[in-house]
Amino acid sequence: MIPRTAALVLLLAAAVFSQRAVGRVEPTSPKESKPQGSLAVVVNQSNPINELSLAELRTVFLGGRTHWPNGRRITLVMMEPGQPERDAVLKEVCRMDESDFRRHFLQGLLTGEVLVSPKTLATPVGVRKFVFNVPGAIGYLRPSDVDDSVKVIRIDGRLPSDEGYELRLREAAE
Amino acid sequence: MKTSGRIQPSAQEREQSFAPAPSRIPGFLARYSSALFLLLVVGLEAGVVQFVIRDLHSANTEVQRMYAGSVQGLRRIGGLQYDAQETRRATLYALTTNDSNLQVEYADQTRDADKRVTAGISQYLQQAELARELEAGRRLQTDWTSYLSVRNEVLASILEGSTKEAVARDLSQGVPSFDRVRQDLEEIKRLYDARASEQLADVAELASRSVTRLFGVLLCTLFLASVFVWVLQRNKMASTLQLARMQMDFVASVSHELRTPLAVLCSAADNLADGVVTGKEQLAKYSSVIRNQSRQINGLVNEVILFTSTQNGKGRYVLRPLQPALLIQSALDSTSELINRAGFTLEKRIDPDLPLVMGDASALSQCLQNLITNALKYGARSRWISVQAHRAESKDRHRHEVRISVHDRGTGIDRTDLPRIFEPFYRSPAAVAGQIHGAGLGLPIAKSLAEAMGGGLSVRTELGVGSVFTLHLPAVDGHESKEIQEERPAQI
Repeated sequence: MIPRTAALVLLLAAAVFSQRAVGRVEPTSPKESKPQGSLAVVVNQSNPINELSLAELRTVFLGGRTHWPNGRRITLVMMEPGQPERDAVLKEVCRMDESDFRRHFLQGLLTGEVLVSPKTLATPVGVRKFVFNVPGAIGYLRPSDVDDSVKVIRIDGRLPSDEGYELRLREAAE
Repeated sequence: MKTSGRIQPSAQEREQSFAPAPSRIPGFLARYSSALFLLLVVGLEAGVVQFVIRDLHSANTEVQRMYAGSVQGLRRIGGLQYDAQETRRATLYALTTNDSNLQVEYADQTRDADKRVTAGISQYLQQAELARELEAGRRLQTDWTSYLSVRNEVLASILEGSTKEAVARDLSQGVPSFDRVRQDLEEIKRLYDARASEQLADVAELASRSVTRLFGVLLCTLFLASVFVWVLQRNKMASTLQLARMQMDFVASVSHELRTPLAVLCSAADNLADGVVTGKEQLAKYSSVIRNQSRQINGLVNEVILFTSTQNGKGRYVLRPLQPALLIQSALDSTSELINRAGFTLEKRIDPDLPLVMGDASALSQCLQNLITNALKYGARSRWISVQAHRAESKDRHRHEVRISVHDRGTGIDRTDLPRIFEPFYRSPAAVAGQIHGAGLGLPIAKSLAEAMGGGLSVRTELGVGSVFTLHLPAVDGHESKEIQEERPAQI
């Protein structure tokens, strides 16, 4: 028990340290930013899933759902902190800021509620290739970064190009 | 005019007829036989050498093709082996890091390598010819696809972060799959080596065959060169022998022809010197004998000189349009004394309106005189000769010619003698036995003169019936003839 407690303390300390090092990212209110473009949610081409609701997507992105219907383990792919795409997903899907998201996963891993932490990749191309290589992967990309190697799924029945698509990038207001 | 004794062109006669014109071709062949033979040998050699060169070129091309094929094949198999290892290596490299960015990079590398392997296998299958090669290629394709499926799962596990699962899957499925791929590649390499060995054996056989052929060509060259030298020497020897024989014939003939008149002259001179000849009548008789014998000797010498001039081509002829009738008359005038003295009946049948002929008047007159003299010598049995002239088509049927023929009713010429009667100094055994004087130059001279005028000389003969010697002279064309006649043809 003692080593496990020590490990938890260390993880918490690391989380706090990293939060300070990165700087707290305040969620941007809708009044302070304006829509810039949509964000496509992509999965592996072999994934039978074609559509998710925003609520299901939130569950997936927060680690609440671990497997797809075909039995494949879900692997979440995120871009590095500070990227507008990641910020948009945290805000629109997870409804969390960076620190809450980290804390959520740390806690989840410690409690066993979450099995795998998200994979972090530096570039959209990396995200796309990761999704292409991993059958259970799910990630997000700007529509311009999407190609045939991955599949874009509908969110609440809408594609990124459709009216009313909720997952949108926002740029900071002046 | 008697016709019963005329020679009709019967089958036998045709068999015994002899025209000197066709003899030009064998003569030409005989004269240039060495050059023709050399040409033939060179042509043959050129053909064989070309064949050998083509063979060597073919062997060389085959060697080059085989070498290029070997190099490319080895490179392709080596490339396949390397890329297969690279596929696996990059996958395993992904296990060594937790950085997802690096893992994606390794995933890219392994997929690039596997694409190259897949393309290489397809290329191999396209180029495979033997059934065992196709079988090995298809097996490799199947095993490679199987390995890739395991590799994809291993890669996915690595990227997901399930390292333990990835290692376990790789050990249980990846390693055996990849071993099968490696064995397939080894099998393909072995097949390739076997095929290269077969090709090498083929090329070695081809090279051996080329060497044999080359050796054969060298032997052939040596043999043909030897034959050529032998033929050359034989021809040279034959020419020398023929020359010697001609010289001997000449000496014998001339000596024989000179000896009798010289003996008569000596005897007459002795009698005159010893005072045996007395009286005007005897003196006149001796003078006549001396004159006749001297003329005979002079005639022989002139004949020899004429023959020499016709043979060495030094004869200078002035070709002019001539009227055949005048030509014949000129020859008859020159020989009339001989004809009359020999007591011969002369029959002359000359067609009117004969075209002009082109020739040297003096040479053609001499030619006809020789034929008439010949008829007088050999037609003594019936003491009849006939000179006839008519117009006819030439052998090539493109032009007309005038044929002047001298007929006799003598003993005829034996078939075996016929091919030789135009040889210089040749005297038939019958003529020698019959003590008919002559040097054997009359007919050769007539033939040479006729040919020098662009014409020819032919003979038809039948034993016991007689002979006909025909002089063929090309007629001047109608238009040409008219122009020439207007200019007044030459008088003989």
